Amino acid sequence: MTSNLQQFTLSNGLKVMLKEIHTAPLISHWVWYGVGSRNEFPGKTGLSHWVEHMQFKGTEHFSGRQMDQAIAKTGGYWNAFTGEDWTTYFETLPSSALDLAMEIEAERMRSSRFLAEEVETERTVILSEREGNENEPRFRLAEAVQAAAFQEHPYRNEVIGFKSDLLAITREDLYNHYRNYYAPSNAMLCLAGDFDTAKVLKKIEKFYGAIPESPVDKHNPQPEFSPPSYQQIELFGPGEASYIQVAYRCPQGNSEDFFALTILDSLLAGPSSLNMFGSGGISNRISRLYLALVDKGLAASVSGGLNANIDPGTYNLNLNCNPVVKPDKLLKKLDQEIERLRSKPAPKNEIRQAQKQAKALFAYGSDNITNQGFWMGYSCSFADYDWFLNYVEKLEAVSPEAVMEAARKYLDPQQRVVGYYLPKNGSSHVQA
Amino acid sequence: MSRLNAVRQNPTPQNVPGSKNILREELKNGAKLLSFRNSSSPAVVIRGYLNCGAVAETVDKLGTASLTASMLMAGTQKQSFKALNASIESIGASLYVGAGSLQTTFAGQCLREDLPKLLSTLVEVLDEPAFPPTQFDRYKMQTLTMLSIQAQDSFEQADLAFNRLFYRDHPYAHPQTGTFETVQNLTRDDLVAFHERYFGPKGMAIAIVGGIQPEEALQICQQTIETWQRPRQETMPELPTFIPLETAQREHIPLEDKSQTDLLMGTLAPETMSRDYYACSIGNNILGQFGMMGRLGNSVREKAGLAYGIQSELSGGIGPVPWLIAAGVNPDNLEKALRLIRKELERFLSQPVTATELKNSKTQMNGRIPLSLESNSGVATALLSIQRYGLSLDYFSELPAILESVSREEILTAARRYWDLEKLVITSSGRAY
Repeated sequence: MTSNLQQFTLSNGLKVMLKEIHTAPLISHWVWYGVGSRNEFPGKTGLSHWVEHMQFKGTEHFSGRQMDQAIAKTGGYWNAFTGEDWTTYFETLPSSALDLAMEIEAERMRSSRFLAEEVETERTVILSEREGNENEPRFRLAEAVQAAAFQEHPYRNEVIGFKSDLLAITREDLYNHYRNYYAPSNAMLCLAGDFDTAKVLKKIEKFYGAIPESPVDKHNPQPEFSPPSYQQIELFGPGEASYIQVAYRCPQGNSEDFFALTILDSLLAGPSSLNMFGSGGISNRISRLYLALVDKGLAASVSGGLNANIDPGTYNLNLNCNPVVKPDKLLKKLDQEIERLRSKPAPKNEIRQAQKQAKALFAYGSDNITNQGFWMGYSCSFADYDWFLNYVEKLEAVSPEAVMEAARKYLDPQQRVVGYYLPKNGSSHVQA
Repeated sequence: MSRLNAVRQNPTPQNVPGSKNILREELKNGAKLLSFRNSSSPAVVIRGYLNCGAVAETVDKLGTASLTASMLMAGTQKQSFKALNASIESIGASLYVGAGSLQTTFAGQCLREDLPKLLSTLVEVLDEPAFPPTQFDRYKMQTLTMLSIQAQDSFEQADLAFNRLFYRDHPYAHPQTGTFETVQNLTRDDLVAFHERYFGPKGMAIAIVGGIQPEEALQICQQTIETWQRPRQETMPELPTFIPLETAQREHIPLEDKSQTDLLMGTLAPETMSRDYYACSIGNNILGQFGMMGRLGNSVREKAGLAYGIQSELSGGIGPVPWLIAAGVNPDNLEKALRLIRKELERFLSQPVTATELKNSKTQMNGRIPLSLESNSGVATALLSIQRYGLSLDYFSELPAILESVSREEILTAARRYWDLEKLVITSSGRAY
């Protein structure tokens, strides 16, 4: 794949990636920081996400409301996300409003206020966000499974943090985290859309060039390469619905094995979209687990989840169980399908089908400038932009044997966590 | 702060869909086609609707339209479940069919060279579904499982209660997916009969957008969609007149083990795309959307820290639809949040919005137009709205002038016509209190 991407580094260490796209009078401006829940310590979980919230509360020159209204008046939108490895802020705006995005993000890189009273109101907002998540049985199950999947690594923690930590974190904790990690040398500016590179470089120098260089004391945890030996977790809740989540260790995003595992995921649970901003997906009705579990009436739905991370993370399979089927029976069927992948290479036409699906999903995201901006930064958070450019080609090179090897290496029934969320009072009509 | 205000307005984009570049044709079977080319896209999106939905169900058969639509992809007279879905998924395409109150909708996507295949499959599933008996049992089980998940979902429960109280004996009061009892009692024959009576190209519209010339899209439709004939297609029953409530209604649905309570408050919205609708859209933007959720977000989230999410939403659609405020709050803060929302509504209804608020909202809503039309799916959705509400093909170029003509006083007068604080419907679901 060819690209018109241009990359630069400012003297203060800020990396810059620019991609001109002139299909609509829009730009998508992203600033990525190399900090997320991966860089947090026990007792301070949720710091990175809370800092992200505080970035909307105001800077030395602008109140939060002023920034918010200035963005809204353009008709554009802005938002931010915190992940395990990164925190990112974006604005998608009419191209005439590019200066506004740069002015706001340059301010937020160095002079957010973190007023004590605003820290307190945001504490309750974040607790409310967490309470909304807790309402979902699948969040509670995912949190428990993730915690069991790692012994020490911070990937064991949900990005939003534990409630006890959210109640104890102080303004100083937040501000120190911000001052340490929000440095130009720990950031990437990614810009996609309708602009002229030569002119934009001058603007970037004007808004970001004067931000002083500052050292970053980065906590990089040791990767964990294997999950704990087989563990089973059971949670109970009201109602009839039951869920199963199975977590295996997966390779880090920049590993060659990652591409084989992507094809494996597609075969097992259906193709997953790469695009963050709704460009549509493909159903998974001919995936192996759908045909073995849903089409046989054992489950209502099945999905797979593979994330590209800096360190080895988890590959998850999620099942919504048929209430009248024993969850153990479902797990046994799932294991038969896993064993099939581990014991012989998948037919070539099945692999080719997964490759065509990946190519189509890749194309679906190309009509959206926000996705283009997202992928520039996201791919660089765990690899580099070539990872994105070569993505389809790498998947097309995956062989049936490579998929089988990936299944043998990563989908070991003795090296995984199985989580059940079951009806508190037992289902009234479970079949043996 | 002058620097942040010094943003130039977005110039009018040259490629906004309009009468010069949208193709609109009626096919020989009565279906309407709207097509627009996005030359930079290698993919094509389709969106469309048929004139049949849940309002044709009887109360003992709720969920029929929804299950019928779901099962269209379960196999046809020509292809088994697996063959049908393999033919779509193996080329990286997608095709979904679902049902609402008045319409059955479909959506799909493919690489441009696969459009003939996608449209011929669409016609096959719409015209010749097999409703295979074994698949019927599985789809029913899946629906019942989803209903059991929904039974523990606080937002869904608040929403179902809202519709029940707000619509009462109107067909929109019923859950579109049905209930445990009605879905349990549905038979395959119910689906076959529903399909036989109401499915057909009369009242159908399809939008095709992406890397294809509209004339080529028309040719493909003439070879596929136009071949669908259903002379015995029945028209849907007419919607009864809706009489708004004369008294306030309040209901809480208790759910165990919930950390958060979901809250809905609402009133009748103006008819979609009426003059009042535009005035109320701007008012709604100021009340609960602009910036981080408008006045409501500023009061309930930013100042009081009571909610992560709160917003107002002016629904669109055919027939009576609500103007809603939705929030998720800690159960201990429910009444406090309700008081703050009520206070903001009182202010909204007692004095005109400020000139600055009006100017900012208009600017934002105008600026949103190119963003909403950025993607193939955004344009396809917009084209269907043009068809559904009988708008001009140049609607998106005309919209800025329509918004500009709305005054502060008009917003106040229109909002007062719809919000009466003595007749609100309020529902919530979460921990018992």
